[in-house]
Amino acid sequence: MNYQTESSWSSYNMPTRSNTASGGDPLQRIERLASENAVVIFSISTCCMCHAIKRLFCGMGVNPTVHELDQDPRTGKDMEAALTRLLGSSSAVPVVFIGGKLVGSMDRVMASHINGTLVPLLKEAGALWL
Amino acid sequence: MAFGFCNVLPFSSFLDENENGLRWSCMASHRLGETGLSDSGPSNPHVPYAVFHGSNVPTSFINQEGSAFDFGELEEAIVLQGVKIRNDEAKAPLFTGRPAATLEMFPSWPMRFQTTPRGSSKSGGESTDSGSAVNTFSSKAEVQMESESPISKNASSSDHQAFDHQKHLQLQQQQIQQEMANDRSRTGPSQNQSAVKAPQEKRKGGGSTSEKQLDAKTLRRLAQNREAARKSRLRKKAYVQQLESSRMKLTQIEQDLQRARAQGLFLGGCGGAGGNLSSGAAIFDMEYARWLEDDHRLMAELRTGLHAHLSDGDLRLIVEGYISHYDEIFRLKGVAAKSDVFHVITGLWLTPAERCFLWIGGFRPSDLIKMLIGQLDPLTEQQLVGIYRLQQSTQQAEEALSQGQEQLQQSLIETIAAAGPVIDGMQQMAIALAKLSNLESFVRQADNLRQQTLHQLCHVLTIRQAARCFLVIGEYYGRLRALSSLWASRPRESLMSEDHHNSCQPTATDHLQIVHQSTVHNHFSTF
Repeated sequence: MNYQTESSWSSYNMPTRSNTASGGDPLQRIERLASENAVVIFSISTCCMCHAIKRLFCGMGVNPTVHELDQDPRTGKDMEAALTRLLGSSSAVPVVFIGGKLVGSMDRVMASHINGTLVPLLKEAGALWL
Repeated sequence: MAFGFCNVLPFSSFLDENENGLRWSCMASHRLGETGLSDSGPSNPHVPYAVFHGSNVPTSFINQEGSAFDFGELEEAIVLQGVKIRNDEAKAPLFTGRPAATLEMFPSWPMRFQTTPRGSSKSGGESTDSGSAVNTFSSKAEVQMESESPISKNASSSDHQAFDHQKHLQLQQQQIQQEMANDRSRTGPSQNQSAVKAPQEKRKGGGSTSEKQLDAKTLRRLAQNREAARKSRLRKKAYVQQLESSRMKLTQIEQDLQRARAQGLFLGGCGGAGGNLSSGAAIFDMEYARWLEDDHRLMAELRTGLHAHLSDGDLRLIVEGYISHYDEIFRLKGVAAKSDVFHVITGLWLTPAERCFLWIGGFRPSDLIKMLIGQLDPLTEQQLVGIYRLQQSTQQAEEALSQGQEQLQQSLIETIAAAGPVIDGMQQMAIALAKLSNLESFVRQADNLRQQTLHQLCHVLTIRQAARCFLVIGEYYGRLRALSSLWASRPRESLMSEDHHNSCQPTATDHLQIVHQSTVHNHFSTF
């Protein structure tokens, strides 16, 4: 059983388009951002559970696209609120989209990994090979 | 005046059903002669007489009977109330011979009505006044009848006689009302006289056939009343017995709870944590102890199920029961983590050996898989692949959660270290507190991972394999717990304190018994 090493940490993509795009409806913005890459994670830089979920994907050999909501001054707060409503839970982050479709928070992601549905989803989205 | 109400519970409810709708409770709080009856006023001179008569009797009655129910008063009051109401409504209320028939319904009562003044009936021979006079006459007679009979009856002071009186009063009341209603149309003194005469005739008559008929009916009613009263008494006795036993059970449970709490606290101290357990922690410890008992029972079920070669359907039920048993402990841990996360995450509720292998408040799923791989043979190719995939995914998930928790710890260290000067310090402490609240989410995710792992095992394995798998898991942790107590009571115990020795001793023997039950007891033969 091989683990991915921590070198994949540096390969996060910080999207350049998020600042130039206009605000609009935060949910629409979320959907647009989610469809831009195979694996999209909405996170907060100080959140430890977000750190854990990033480690999970890197450990599987996936390079997720991470949007740190606290580093987005204009729309971050709105998107956080929109995500809280979307998930119906008390915390907005971390939230994972794969292939533009919502997978969920940490517990959904882990459950799908354990029951074997996460890897096929990743392969389908083109985030994993082999 | 005091009514002996308390010991005749059904009585009051019976009264409430009185057709007249008498509010007995409010009557009880009033002295006779007040609100209920004083309204009759001066237009009815005889009623006050009856009232006085009525009010005289109860006081003497009370002196005689003490705690017995004052039926005399009750009867009088009802009759008088009925009389008063009818007086208010009826223009020329008249009696037929029915009142006499009413009087004849009490065969055991002494027929002393001969002594009632005929003079008063004569005086009541006029037209409009006579109606009321007749009323008062008959009511007086009844009052006198009733005032005498209760005294004689209640000398024995038994409940069923009370019911008899009650029934009679009701019937009386009904009859009086009927007659009032029937006779309202009739007027004239002739009726009065015949009404006056008829009771006397009937009284003199005595043994007519109608009397006998009424007797039979009356007897039946009396018997029914006695039955009802007896059943009532039996019900009451049963209820009181039930209450007594529940009370004893409650005190028992409270004692057990206190003992368990004390033990829990003590064992918590034994475990090395010391200090007091929070209420959430103490509750969880008790629930966990109960869960362990259930675990033993369910494992026995699994064992017998496997040996008995049950059908897959039946075995599936047992296995599913065991899965929900585990779901239950995860749910309980979630609740406990909300109230006391440190208790859960440091594993104070586990035995020392289990705590040695602790990972975020419980067992490490990948360790469990590793332990199981050797024990689940024979596995098909597909199953082997499934198990290895499961092992890999649990390891990855564990790694992720561990790293997340590590980052939390680092962040906490920085925050607490930076909490230097007082003003800043309070702010930093607040930040640290906020960060600590993340611990609960890590425990929750770790338990989620454990739960998913167990569920996935059942998906990969057949039902028989799953049953064996759970049996292996249960026995493994049983041995681990046994190891804890064996270690605690190993020969170097002279170095330990007396208390520690005493508390661990019983558990050691318990665990030794469990170990004997499993097949690995020869490993511990040196102890």
